[in-house]
Amino acid sequence: MTLLHNIRTVARYEATTLRRSWFFRLFSIAALVIFTFLNIGFFSPVGDEPWQLIAISSSLPLVNLYLLNIAQSIVVIFLAADFLKRDKKVDTNEVLYTRSMSNFEYVMGKTIGILRLFLGLDIIILLIGLVMNIISKNMTIDLMSYLYYLLILCVPTILFSLGLAFMLMSLIRNQAITFLILLGLAALDMFWLWYRFGSIFDYMAFGLPVFQSTIIGFDNLSQILNQRLLYFFLGSSLVLATVLLFKRLPQAKTHTTISVVFMIIFFAGAVVCAFNTYSSYRSTLDEKNLVIGTGKQFEERDFVRLTDADIDISHKGKFLEASADLEFINQNNKNLSSFLFSLNPGLTVSGVTSGGKELKFKQTHDVIDIDPGKSLAPGDRDSIVISYAGTINEAFCYPNYSDNMKETRYRAMMLNINKRQAFLTEKYVLLTPETYWYPVPGLNYYPSNPARIKIDFTNYTLRVKTNKDLTAISQGTSENRDGTFVFTPESPLTGITLAIGDYRSDTLKVDSVKYITWYIKGHDFYKKQLSLISDTLPLLVSGIMRDLETNFSTKYPFKTLSLIEVPIQFYSYPKMNTQTRAELQPSMVLLPEKLSSLNSLRRGFYKQFANQKKNMARQNQVITDKELQVRIFNNFVRSTFISSTNYRFVNGAVVNEPTRYRLGPSFYFFKNNFYSSEYPVINAVFESHLQKVNTPQAGAMNITDGLSGNDKANLILKNASFREILELNPASDTIRAILTVKGDYLFNLIRSKVGITEFKEWFQKYIDDHKFQSVDIRKFNEDLNQRFGFEFYPYLENWFNTKEQPGFNFGEPQVNEILVGDRVRYLVTFIASNPESVPGIFNLAFRTGGPGAGRGGGQINMAMAQAGSGGGGNISISMQGRGMEAADISKIVEISAHQAKKIGIILDAQPRALLINTLFSKNIPGERNIPVEDIRKLKSKSSEFKEEETLVPMPEKKITGEIIVDNEDPGFNPGNKVVQAPLKRLFGIKARVSQGYQQINQYWAPDYWQASIQSAYYGDYVLSSVFTRGGTGDSKVTWSAKINEPGYYDVYCYIGKLITGSVTVGGQRGGQGGGQGGSGGPVASKEESSYKDMHYKIYHDEGVEEITVDFENAEGGWNKLGQYYLSPDSAKVELTNQSAGRIVLGDAIKWVKVN
Amino acid sequence: MKIEIQGLNKTYPNGNRALKDIDLEFGTGMFGLLGPNGAGKSSLMRIIVTLMKPSSGIVLVEGKDIQKHRKELRSMLGYLPQDFRFFTALKTWEFLDYSGSLAGMKNRRERLAEVDRLLDQVGLLEVRDRKANRLSGGMKRRLGIAQALIGNPRIIVVDEPTTGLDPDERIRFRNILSLLSQNDVTIILSTHIVGDISSTCQGMALLNRGELVFNGRPEDLIKHAEGHVFKMMLTPYEYDKVKEHYNVISTIPVDDGWEVQVVADDVPEFNSTPIIPNIEHAYVYYMEHKMHADIIE
Repeated sequence: MTLLHNIRTVARYEATTLRRSWFFRLFSIAALVIFTFLNIGFFSPVGDEPWQLIAISSSLPLVNLYLLNIAQSIVVIFLAADFLKRDKKVDTNEVLYTRSMSNFEYVMGKTIGILRLFLGLDIIILLIGLVMNIISKNMTIDLMSYLYYLLILCVPTILFSLGLAFMLMSLIRNQAITFLILLGLAALDMFWLWYRFGSIFDYMAFGLPVFQSTIIGFDNLSQILNQRLLYFFLGSSLVLATVLLFKRLPQAKTHTTISVVFMIIFFAGAVVCAFNTYSSYRSTLDEKNLVIGTGKQFEERDFVRLTDADIDISHKGKFLEASADLEFINQNNKNLSSFLFSLNPGLTVSGVTSGGKELKFKQTHDVIDIDPGKSLAPGDRDSIVISYAGTINEAFCYPNYSDNMKETRYRAMMLNINKRQAFLTEKYVLLTPETYWYPVPGLNYYPSNPARIKIDFTNYTLRVKTNKDLTAISQGTSENRDGTFVFTPESPLTGITLAIGDYRSDTLKVDSVKYITWYIKGHDFYKKQLSLISDTLPLLVSGIMRDLETNFSTKYPFKTLSLIEVPIQFYSYPKMNTQTRAELQPSMVLLPEKLSSLNSLRRGFYKQFANQKKNMARQNQVITDKELQVRIFNNFVRSTFISSTNYRFVNGAVVNEPTRYRLGPSFYFFKNNFYSSEYPVINAVFESHLQKVNTPQAGAMNITDGLSGNDKANLILKNASFREILELNPASDTIRAILTVKGDYLFNLIRSKVGITEFKEWFQKYIDDHKFQSVDIRKFNEDLNQRFGFEFYPYLENWFNTKEQPGFNFGEPQVNEILVGDRVRYLVTFIASNPESVPGIFNLAFRTGGPGAGRGGGQINMAMAQAGSGGGGNISISMQGRGMEAADISKIVEISAHQAKKIGIILDAQPRALLINTLFSKNIPGERNIPVEDIRKLKSKSSEFKEEETLVPMPEKKITGEIIVDNEDPGFNPGNKVVQAPLKRLFGIKARVSQGYQQINQYWAPDYWQASIQSAYYGDYVLSSVFTRGGTGDSKVTWSAKINEPGYYDVYCYIGKLITGSVTVGGQRGGQGGGQGGSGGPVASKEESSYKDMHYKIYHDEGVEEITVDFENAEGGWNKLGQYYLSPDSAKVELTNQSAGRIVLGDAIKWVKVN
Repeated sequence: MKIEIQGLNKTYPNGNRALKDIDLEFGTGMFGLLGPNGAGKSSLMRIIVTLMKPSSGIVLVEGKDIQKHRKELRSMLGYLPQDFRFFTALKTWEFLDYSGSLAGMKNRRERLAEVDRLLDQVGLLEVRDRKANRLSGGMKRRLGIAQALIGNPRIIVVDEPTTGLDPDERIRFRNILSLLSQNDVTIILSTHIVGDISSTCQGMALLNRGELVFNGRPEDLIKHAEGHVFKMMLTPYEYDKVKEHYNVISTIPVDDGWEVQVVADDVPEFNSTPIIPNIEHAYVYYMEHKMHADIIE
């Protein structure tokens, strides 16, 4: 057939020509070299073998083609545009144009030629990958994925790039402009468009999640197909449009007609695919809005408490049919004339009965409003049966998240993974309570108060019918009755989860807890990789569990702990109303398939083993293989299930999110519940405090704002009450920080009134006694009052509704070595005052031990042992006084409004530093580390020692004749001007301006004056300074003060220098015991300092004098700039950015009248 | 193969009228298209080979309008454009193979045999594996001729084929065309080199500024010049005078002066001898003398 013959001919010779072009040759050689190294580096036994990729074998072709596709999509622009340029210029091609072939044949030939060449290169690189795949002992070979990804990623991208390049060249006929447009589009895709509007503009599949699961394959096939077909069709359409625009007289009307027809068909196909892609994205957003709208409609209504639920579920492919027999109680203090239940909106209720009688009901999206035809009195019980069927709508699960891939990234290396909340397929099912796959009284989301949560401890029974080849898993004991799996949990649960798949299991019983690992057939790789610890496993597990129980001061409440392997796409968003994520369910942890996306398993067990073994051999360390496997196992388990930190970047800021697999919730959230109709966040507050969740520490804070979660929360609480903030619906990270601060305050308040140890013992027993029960906070208050004679409930009014914060000033601690009997003790006294109008509390801890105390020796009298890690910026001590134990605190001090106290405390060990956590207060940072510099020897116990002594009158902080203007004061002018480049304005890119507080980066400072927090800086409550990039003096800050009395004044500037663990001002970089140190602030070190000359201009009666202060030689604290005569209103000091150093720092200025 | 050109006009978007009411008719054999640079030859060629549409008028091949039957025309066409210097990175044989394949030669073995035959014919067999862009200027022209000949075209259009060729190659090229014209092939040879229009051209046309100024056999053109070409022996002084008033077409230095050939109606002042004109004389006479006289009339 002439058509095919001509296309083939053009394709062959165009490909030959392209193959011989230097540009393509260079690209091919570079690609071959890079990808060979990449494959060796990632996948070969001598390479890094990241477990995230190794575990899922399809990631090998994916990584290769993902990266190659990006490079190709750019290279193809040059080559395609060059082709047409050549056609346009060179008469040689006219000899071809006069040949008997249609324009269609010619353009198609060219397209196929280029496509063939690039795909050929892709295939060669895939073959290199395949070789690695074969060599790798730890990867299976998934040959089909090689083909899938070639078709999914490369073909549409190349075709679209070609089509667009051809088309633009045909229209514009200017290669440079075509390049600019196409490269701009490529850049726009990679930096801006890739995640927007459901990835509809992501033509190179840069962000499109195409990661496959070994359990369910592509979970988003429809999304992938639509998005990729969009570019396949659009590319084809553009190629055909090029046929029509081609500058050669056409010869075959049929071909022209075919081109027109197919161009329209392909374009229509592209439109359909674009519509599907966008509508899928839009419908998710609409769905979320609908959930919020429905929530608003029903959130003020009362709900029953579910006590028993008997659920029958039949798994029918992509659908389920179910009926739920629900028994409940009206725990409200008024009659209920209707029952509200939430159910996933993908499920449709077919009927509601009670005692065999049909009840009227109305399903409004996710809420079922049931009319029982009678009223249910407070305390009365009732039951209904709800029959329903359908599928699961996942958009419902987290209505406050937009599914924005950039904000909540979930990736294996550089590859985006689709985030799923449920699976309902023929071969696999996973339904967690978050999907509301069974009716639950209460709402998924309370729009006016997202921190509100309703928890019912319910006795569940679950019966599951599924394919006979599949195994159903849920909580409790399991029986298989005639093909029906029946689950009966031993204790009431907050929710029930169902997983169905081709599961296998291993069981280990340790200390009366059954540990069951449920894995998909063939996925039990860990048994081989950790084969030596099988006989030690019970001991290891027992030890870990004991540690956990000690940490949470309570026993693990369930009889089983199931570790269930689920598809990698399963992902839960952090919730506002709990620290618990859906990966953790009562007596269950849902782990990603083959543990592939765990941060704690960046390298496989076998790789860790090999690496550590090699390192040890290098260091002449001897360890048995078994010991090494034990160590690896322990590290893995502890960092996966116990670690409380989970940092993530969102728009350049570090966000601390609840850890996905942390077992913490098992010790509170799944076991206890305190509720209050007046303060619906109370359970979240209790949970936040008791979970002991840490805030970002040294490493993470270096690259963020340097503020702990507590500080951020206190800065927000400065402007609004707890209630007001909740109504504003803040970001989940913010709300968690606020819940934690409020929880810490509340519990420390109780402890301050009833005693730290006493409260701990009582409360520990109390929550064990009320296991699997919901306790009204008023009852808790009564019980507390009965035991200790203290009621905390009245405090909640202010705690919840007022925004006023206390503020604390602390004097230098005085430490006297005293002799008590034969023993040397240390008496620490210091003055603390609260000049604000509301009372407040703070807690105290001490770092004790000899010089250099820290990691290397000494004793850290606080729970957060990380304090000694050094090397970073601020180290948060925000855990101080948090958790059930609160064993890290020595004393809690309550100070009334406008009150000052002298605090005394006797220690057994020599204190090195006083650690204060001001909890809820104006103090920023709220955690102060005050070093103890002098210890006086008294040799006798002071007879005047009192633990707390109120000072009347309150000591004045201000000294007469002294005027201080801090950078937080009104007299300070930060002098920042916002200049926005026109291009940035055009693209709506915001100019970088000073915002809040930022940690100082030693290697990059902004060109504006940015505020920063450090405990070494000066301030009343907020210890801050401003800093900028060293420059030429074109930018300045000013401190001005009103002088009432003319005369001579000494003028001082404040230089904030960090005080390290054992060395104060001017000392060495923080020793390991240092509470602070590192790059977070100006610490003198052997390295070249970022801080050098600082140029102050002092305005006085005789003019202006410029004084240069050498930062390195300056004292930490007030440094005198000179003595000047000042008239009223003339006091002004400027600091410019002129400096040879990288950073200029400005803090406070002091004028002291000379008598 | 009868080619008829009727009322052909071409005006470019910039207003330049390249062809004005051209009417021509010729058949099998070689047809020469002669004219100075810018006469419109290439425009006419490009219209004939369907690279360009005329503004008006038609070109019929065997009675069929080529604009409506491009496929048929292109399948019987071999074309060598005026500017044939740049090549892609194909080897010599590959380029011919590409052209041959597009010319409808589907059988690979036959095509490759034809490629080698043609390469041999144009003297490029030795460089068949050399990249085409590394060939010398003459070799490239020869390759251009070979590609125009591949696939046994029935119409061969060659636009300024001998430009830049050395005399040997020019002769060689003319011979190839002469041989081809013996077959049932129509060759349209466009040139501004009068010598290319050899006696083998059965017909020829003379274009000037887009207009057809002569259409007929080369002998007819020569007849116009009979009695108007003179040979003279001149002293240097006389030579300067002659140059001033007549079209000098040949000057040969001899003892004591110059042997000069001029084209003129008469040369009364000098001792001249009429000679038998050739095509070159005829072209000069026609372009420089007759047309000038026609304009004056």
